[in-house]
Amino acid sequence: MSKHASQRCILTANRLTDGTAVFLDFEGAWSESIVEAVVAHSPDEVRALEDRAAYDAAHNLVVEPYLVEIREVAGHLEPIRYRERVRAGGPTILGDVPGYTQPFPSPLAREEREPFIRAA
Amino acid sequence: MYRYDEFDVEFVRQRVAQFRDQVDRRLAGELTEDEFKPLRLMNGVYLQLHAYMLRIAVPYGTLSSRQMRKLAHIARTYDRGTGHFTTRQNLQFNWPKLSDIPAILDELADVEMHAIQTSGNCIRNVTADHFAGATADEVADPRPYAEIIRQWSSLHPEFSFLPRKFKVAVIGSDRDRAAMQLHDIGLHLKRLADGRLGFAVFVGGGMGRTPFIAKKIRDELPQADLLSYLEAILRVYNLQGRRDNKYKARIKILVHEIGADAFRAQVEAEWLRIREGALKLPEAEIKRIDAYFAPPAFDRRPTRIALRAPDRPFDRWVTRNTHTHKQPGYVIVTISLKPIGGIPGDASADQMDAVADLAEQYSFDEVRVTHEQNLVLPHVRIEDLRAVYDRLKAIGLAEANVGLATDIIACPGLDYCALANARSIPIAQRISDRLSKRQDQIGDLKIKISGCINACGHHHVGHIGILGVEKRGEEHYQLLLGGSGAEDAALALIAGPGFGPDGIVDAVETIVDTYLKLRRSPDEPFLAAYGRLGAAPFKEALYAAA
Ligand code: SF4
Repeated sequence: MSKHASQRCILTANRLTDGTAVFLDFEGAWSESIVEAVVAHSPDEVRALEDRAAYDAAHNLVVEPYLVEIREVAGHLEPIRYRERVRAGGPTILGDVPGYTQPFPSPLAREEREPFIRAA
Repeated sequence: MYRYDEFDVEFVRQRVAQFRDQVDRRLAGELTEDEFKPLRLMNGVYLQLHAYMLRIAVPYGTLSSRQMRKLAHIARTYDRGTGHFTTRQNLQFNWPKLSDIPAILDELADVEMHAIQTSGNCIRNVTADHFAGATADEVADPRPYAEIIRQWSSLHPEFSFLPRKFKVAVIGSDRDRAAMQLHDIGLHLKRLADGRLGFAVFVGGGMGRTPFIAKKIRDELPQADLLSYLEAILRVYNLQGRRDNKYKARIKILVHEIGADAFRAQVEAEWLRIREGALKLPEAEIKRIDAYFAPPAFDRRPTRIALRAPDRPFDRWVTRNTHTHKQPGYVIVTISLKPIGGIPGDASADQMDAVADLAEQYSFDEVRVTHEQNLVLPHVRIEDLRAVYDRLKAIGLAEANVGLATDIIACPGLDYCALANARSIPIAQRISDRLSKRQDQIGDLKIKISGCINACGHHHVGHIGILGVEKRGEEHYQLLLGGSGAEDAALALIAGPGFGPDGIVDAVETIVDTYLKLRRSPDEPFLAAYGRLGAAPFKEALYAAA
């Protein structure tokens, strides 16, 4: 994971029991909302996230943890890669085209895609 | 029908119990993810972008009403009310909880279904022509042979850890509706020179990173020798396939690297050695399996009835979505899972239940899943078409677009898939919406979209193919032209520089407009016009302004 450590980043994983994408939050818990993610700004903070990733994976709270690089856009922080933005926001199935009927309410999709995280 | 015998029953129950224990141990922290991952994959459980995904095998795409109802029940109880039919004739659930999966597998076992060999480097679920046993243009039903291969390949000890995954498709007609030549092994059931049934054998086809059309390595294989020949192919591959490099490990690379002639020579040498051994298929055994697939009890029907009702939507639907049956008085109905602007291949639990009811009432209890992500009622009386149409209309599945521009194949892409580079589904939705008004005018056009190089959306063989890539962290799409997954199999070629998510929809429309302008007549389909004109006018239209 260290190769990502040059930038600001957050820690994500999938929750073991149901696979939901989760983000390590300010209180050290795993949140379903990226808005609450804790941001590492320095190499030391990045190392702390990495340690935490290894610990929580080893203790079977989460699966496949990794760091996500983020950037500041208009006063907010968001993942640099589009992939990570979709992962954080949920499926982007278009609800506004005629044949689409939403089969389920998607709590993740409901969250506004932007802003993601308030810039510190 | 699919023969799930006593052995399967007991084995699948045991496997579910074993997996239940493994899941419990994983949740209790007794197994690490490294230990658990190969176990879950062996049971069809993937970890995707937002959740786990369960892939369920539908052998040669054939389902009974009871099985379809069970899938609906699982969608409703354990998922978010939807199932996704894939290009492998399988079904995927996108939101199961890990803790629920043993219960789901138990429910599946109740209807003789499972998720075994839907992942991993083994021989995967065998696919077949979705019109098998019904279409007027087939020599014989290919499914008994698909079933024989299923039984032979299930838990085959020698072939459970191949260099890579391995896919087999079987067709029984000169029309290839199963993309047979894009499989590791493709089998074409046909009449041999002596009048008996046998196979032409194709090897080394595939899409993904390095696409190849399969090479024919044997024109005439007697049916009695089917399994010994397959075993010889697998054995040569198992020994020589590139285990050192995942990207070069498929059989297509081996066939390409050593050449089809050298590969054939090795297979034939091995085959000669084992041909008269235990794998010889006795006539009686073929007949026994054949009997399970005996045609249903068709009644004698008039061959002609007044088909065309005056209202145009029904007329359109009959024209587009039905196919000639071998039994006079019957037709094959394709149920499009491509409502305009919808998600290709998705069906809600209510829709699945309704299709199960239709199959029970009007199609001898049978449903098929197509690799183009649609469903099929294989045996419908002509006089019942109106009733079937009305019921489909009521559940939003009466779109008359089979084979048209809105009948798009799209993989789950970045909306679900952990391997994806870009989204497929919203692109399909936009294109469908954009072209829907003109689809009859455009005529036959196959658009296929993959969210990454793995090509689950078959973009290599789209008349128009779209491949999602990642460019500087953002989505980007390559446009490919001129492919075909049918009997005239051909690989599409990249048209030029790619496009963003909006640009790709415009680009597809530009290709369509160019075709409409340049075609000789409405009778010249897109692929024929492209073959005549070449890529140049299309590239010109796409890039001239740039
Ligand atoms: S083509 Fe790629 S993105 Fe699409 S389903 Fe396959 S692996 Fe996932």
